[in-house]
Amino acid sequence: MGGTFWLPRRGSTFAADVDFAWDLVFWISVFFFVLITSLLVWFVLRYRERPGYVAQPASSHNTPLEIFWSVVPTLIVAGLFWTGYKTYLDMATPPAGAYEIQVTGQKWNWLFTYPNGYVDGQLHVPEDTPVRLVMTSQDVMHAFFVPTFRVKRDVLPGRYTDLWFEAIEPGTHEVLCAEYCGTSHSTMLTKVVVHERADYERWLAEASDFLRLLPPAEAGQLLYAQRGCKQCHSVDGKAGIGPTLQGLFGHDQPLTGGGSVRVDENYIRESVLVPRAKIAAGYEAVMPSYQGRLRDEEIAAIVEYLKTLKGSP
Amino acid sequence: MAHPAEATSEHGPGVGHVVPIRTLLGVLAVLLVLTIATVAITLFDLGRMNIVVALAIAFVKGALVLLYFMHLRWDRPFNAIVLVSAILFVVLFIGFSLLDTFQYQPEVIPGYAPALEP
Amino acid sequence: MRTSETQLGAAGPAAAPGPSRGDDYLRHGTGIRSWLFTLDHKRIGILYLVSILSAFFLAGMFAVLVRTELLTPGKTIVDADTYNQFFTLHGAVMIFLFIIPGIPAALGNFVLPLMLGAKDVAFPRLNLMSWWLWVTGAVLSVASIVIGAVDTGWTFYTPYSTTTGQKGVVPIVLGVFILGFSSIFTGLNFIVTVHKLRPKGMTWFRMPLFLWAIYSTAVLQVLATPVLGITVALLAAERLMGLGIFDPALGGDPVLFQHFFWFYSHPAVYIMILPAMGVISEVIAVFSRKHIFGYRFIAMSSVAIAILSFLVWGHHMFTSMSPLANMLFSALTFSVSIPSAIKVFNWLATMYKGTIQLRTPMLYALAFIFLFTIGGLTGLFLGMLAVDVHLHDTYFVVAHFHYVMFGGTVMAFLAGLHYWWPKMTGRTFSEIGGQWGFWLVFCGFNLTFFIQFLMGSRGMPRRYYDYLPEQAIYHQISSVGSYLTAVGFFVVAGCLWRSLRQGAPAPANPWGGNSLEWWTPSPPPHDNFAETPVADDPYDYANWTYDPALGGYVRPPGRPA
Repeated sequence: MGGTFWLPRRGSTFAADVDFAWDLVFWISVFFFVLITSLLVWFVLRYRERPGYVAQPASSHNTPLEIFWSVVPTLIVAGLFWTGYKTYLDMATPPAGAYEIQVTGQKWNWLFTYPNGYVDGQLHVPEDTPVRLVMTSQDVMHAFFVPTFRVKRDVLPGRYTDLWFEAIEPGTHEVLCAEYCGTSHSTMLTKVVVHERADYERWLAEASDFLRLLPPAEAGQLLYAQRGCKQCHSVDGKAGIGPTLQGLFGHDQPLTGGGSVRVDENYIRESVLVPRAKIAAGYEAVMPSYQGRLRDEEIAAIVEYLKTLKGSP
Repeated sequence: MAHPAEATSEHGPGVGHVVPIRTLLGVLAVLLVLTIATVAITLFDLGRMNIVVALAIAFVKGALVLLYFMHLRWDRPFNAIVLVSAILFVVLFIGFSLLDTFQYQPEVIPGYAPALEP
Repeated sequence: MRTSETQLGAAGPAAAPGPSRGDDYLRHGTGIRSWLFTLDHKRIGILYLVSILSAFFLAGMFAVLVRTELLTPGKTIVDADTYNQFFTLHGAVMIFLFIIPGIPAALGNFVLPLMLGAKDVAFPRLNLMSWWLWVTGAVLSVASIVIGAVDTGWTFYTPYSTTTGQKGVVPIVLGVFILGFSSIFTGLNFIVTVHKLRPKGMTWFRMPLFLWAIYSTAVLQVLATPVLGITVALLAAERLMGLGIFDPALGGDPVLFQHFFWFYSHPAVYIMILPAMGVISEVIAVFSRKHIFGYRFIAMSSVAIAILSFLVWGHHMFTSMSPLANMLFSALTFSVSIPSAIKVFNWLATMYKGTIQLRTPMLYALAFIFLFTIGGLTGLFLGMLAVDVHLHDTYFVVAHFHYVMFGGTVMAFLAGLHYWWPKMTGRTFSEIGGQWGFWLVFCGFNLTFFIQFLMGSRGMPRRYYDYLPEQAIYHQISSVGSYLTAVGFFVVAGCLWRSLRQGAPAPANPWGGNSLEWWTPSPPPHDNFAETPVADDPYDYANWTYDPALGGYVRPPGRPA
C-alpha cells in the first residue's frame, strides 16, 4: 500500500505539506500525552495511600504556574493553526490556467466530463499538471475524497465546489465518497488514473472517440458501466434497485398502476430521458433523468447493447 | 394617582413601580409608526440596504418593547445583561452564517430549483 | 424524629448518622404514582437514571450490531439500508436520550440541591415536567424505528433527510424537538437554583466545582437548545410542506442547514463534557484527600468553555464552507482547547503530594484524564485546516469523539455513579466488582477505538457499510473490543444491581468528601436537611476521619460545623 504507518502514500504535490502539518501536531500530541500520562502514573505510585505514608503539605494554588500552562499551550496551538492554515490556503487556491474537469456526483457514482465533452466514469489526468475539478451533485450531498492526494471537498446540488491537485507520478488512486448519501454510499467509488504527460492526449482522443472506434454494442456496454446504469441495473438476472437488463429488450414489462409496455427503442429512450413516466411494477421511482447527459448516439449504442443481453428477465 | 417613573427601589426591582400610561401609549405610538414605516419602505428598493434597514427598524422596535413594555429599563442590570448577551449570540450566529453564505454565492447555480419546475 | 435530624445542625453528627430510617426519600410515599408524579428532586434523579440507562442499553445494542456487521466487508448480518439505520439510531439515541441529559439529569438532579444544603430545586414541578418531556420525546423517537427507521445519520443533513422515503424522519425530529424542551427546562431550573438557593456562606467561589460545571452547562442548555428546536422544526416543515429552505431542488441551501444544526450541536458536546469535568474535579480531590488545585482557574475555565463553545461550530463543516469562514473557525477552534488543558493540569496538580486512594470512582476519574487527553489532543488534528481536509468524515473523527464522549463523559458518569451510589441508594457496592467492571470497560474501550484513528488516517470514511479488504483486520479488532466493552458494562451493572439487594448499608460519608451532600444520611431523608447547613470549604477534608467499624468517615465529636 505504500505510505507511512499512519498515512497513505503521497500522490500529489501538496501531500508532503499536509503530512508535515500532521507530523507537527502528531509529535506535539505525543509529547503532551507522554508528559500527562507519566505524571499521572508517577503521582499514583508515589503518593498512593499505604501504611506509613504521610502526605506532605502542598499549596492549592499557584498563579504563575497557571499562567505558564495557559500561555505556552496558547502559543503552541497558534502555531498549529498557522501551519494548518498556510497549507490549506494553497490547497484552496487553484493555480490560474489549471486543466479543468467537471465532476458530477449522483447516487451512487461519479461522472467526469472532459474539456472536449467526453464523459467517463473514471478520472484520468496527466502527471505534473495542475488539475482543477469543478463539481456539482445531481441529488443529495456527496463528497469527493482522494486519500492519496490529501484532498476532499463536499459536492452539493445547486452549487459548484472545486478542488485542485497536481499528481506527481503515474499511477492509480482510490476515490471515495465522504458524505453519507444513502444505501450505496460505501460503494460510490472510482479511481484517478494518472497518465504520463505524453500519453494523456492520446488516451483522451481515443477514449472520446469510443462511439466511432468501438462496435455499437460494445460502446453501449461502456456507457452502461460508466454512466451509472451499472449501480442499479444488473445484466445477470438479479433484481437490484432497478430491473435487470438481461432479456429486457423485446420483453413485455408490467408497469406500476397496471398495464404493460413492449420494451423497444422508444421505451428505452423514454426511460432514460423521462424515467418517471413509466415505472416498472415492483420498483420505486428513483431513477434520475439523463436529459442532457446522454446524446442520441449514446442512447442508440445502449439500445444495441441491450439487444445483446439475451435470456429471460 | 400617578406614580412617577422612579429608579429601582432599594427593596428590589419593580415592586411598587408602575409605568405611567402616557409612557406606554407613547411607546405604542412609536411602534405603530415604525410598523407603518416597515411596510412603506418595501415600496422602495434600496438594494443591499434593504436588509440593513429592515433589521434596524426591527431592532429599534424590539428594544422599545424590551425596555418599556417588559420593564427592563427599571429592572436589575443583570437581567439586561442576560438579554443583551442573548441578542449578541443571535447576531453571532446569523452573522457568521451569512458571512459564509455570501462568500459562496458566486458558486451557486442561479435559479436552480428542479423540483419546482412544472 | 427531630433529635436524630438535629445531628446535622450546628454540632455536626457526633455519632455517625445511620443509614435509611423510615423517613428516607426512598420510603417516603409508596406506590407507582408517588414515583411518577413525585416532586422530590432525588426521586426525579432516580427516574432519570433508570430512563437514561435504558436508552444507553438500547443505543449500546445498536452499536454492537454496527460492529458485528463490520466484521467483514460487504454483507455480514444485514443489508446496507438496515446497517445505515443501525448507525443512525445508535447515534441519535445515544446523543439525545443518554448523553445530553446524562450527568445533569441523572446525577445533577440528585446532587445539586444537596450540595447547596437546599430542600429541592427552585422549580420542582418544572423538574418533573422535564422528565415527562424526556419520556415523551423518547417514545416518539423510538416509535420512529417502527414507523420507518431513519437512516440519515444523527445529523439529518439535507437534502438527504428532506427527500428520503423513510417515514420515520418527522417523528424522530419531533421527538428531538420535545427532548430539547426537557433540556431547556432543566437548564433553567438549575440556573435559578444556583443563583437563589445557595446557603449562607456559600459565595460563588465557595461552591463545589461540580456546581460551576452544572451551572455553565445549564447556560448552554438554555441558550443553544432553542436553535436545535427551530432547526428540526424547519426540517419537519420542509418535509411536510416542501418549503424550500434547505433543499436546493426547491431553491434552498443545504449548507445553511449545517450552520443551523451545528450552532446547537457544537455547544451540545460541551453540554456533554462540562458536567463530566465537574464530576472529575470532585472525585480527584476527594480521593487524593487534598484540596483541589487552582479552584478559581477550574471554575473560570468552565465558564470560558461555555462561552467559547459558541464560536467554533464551523469546524464540523470545513469541507463545505468558504475559505474565509474556514480560517475564522479554525482559529477560534483552538481557543476552546486551552481551558480544557488548564483543567487537566490542575487535576494533576491536585494529585501531587496527595494521598491517593484507588477506589472505583477514582479509577474512572484517572481513566478520564488519560482518555480525555487522547480525545482532546486528537481534536487539535481536526482543528488544523490542512489536516482536517484529509481526516474529515473518516474514522479518525469517529475515534476522536468516542474518546471524548465515551472515554470522557461516560467514564466520568460511571465515576459519579459509583461515587454517589451509596448516597443515592444507601447501599455499598463491592469494590472488587467495581474494579472488575472498570478494567473490562477500560480495556474494551481502547481496543475498540484506538485502532480507528489508524483506519481514519489511512483513509477509511465513516458511515461505510462496505470497505476495502485491507481494512478488515482493523474492523475485526475494533469489533472484538466492542464485545469486551459490552461484557464490561454487564459486570458494572451486575455489581451495582447486586449492591441493591445484598450490599451493606452505606454510611453518610463513605469517601470523606466535605461538600454538603455528605453531611446528610445515606440515603437522604425526604427533605434533605433538618436545618439549612452553613457552608464550609467543600475541599477541606481535614475535619473528617475514617472509622473502620463504620466503613466511612465521621466528624470527630465537638468539631464545629
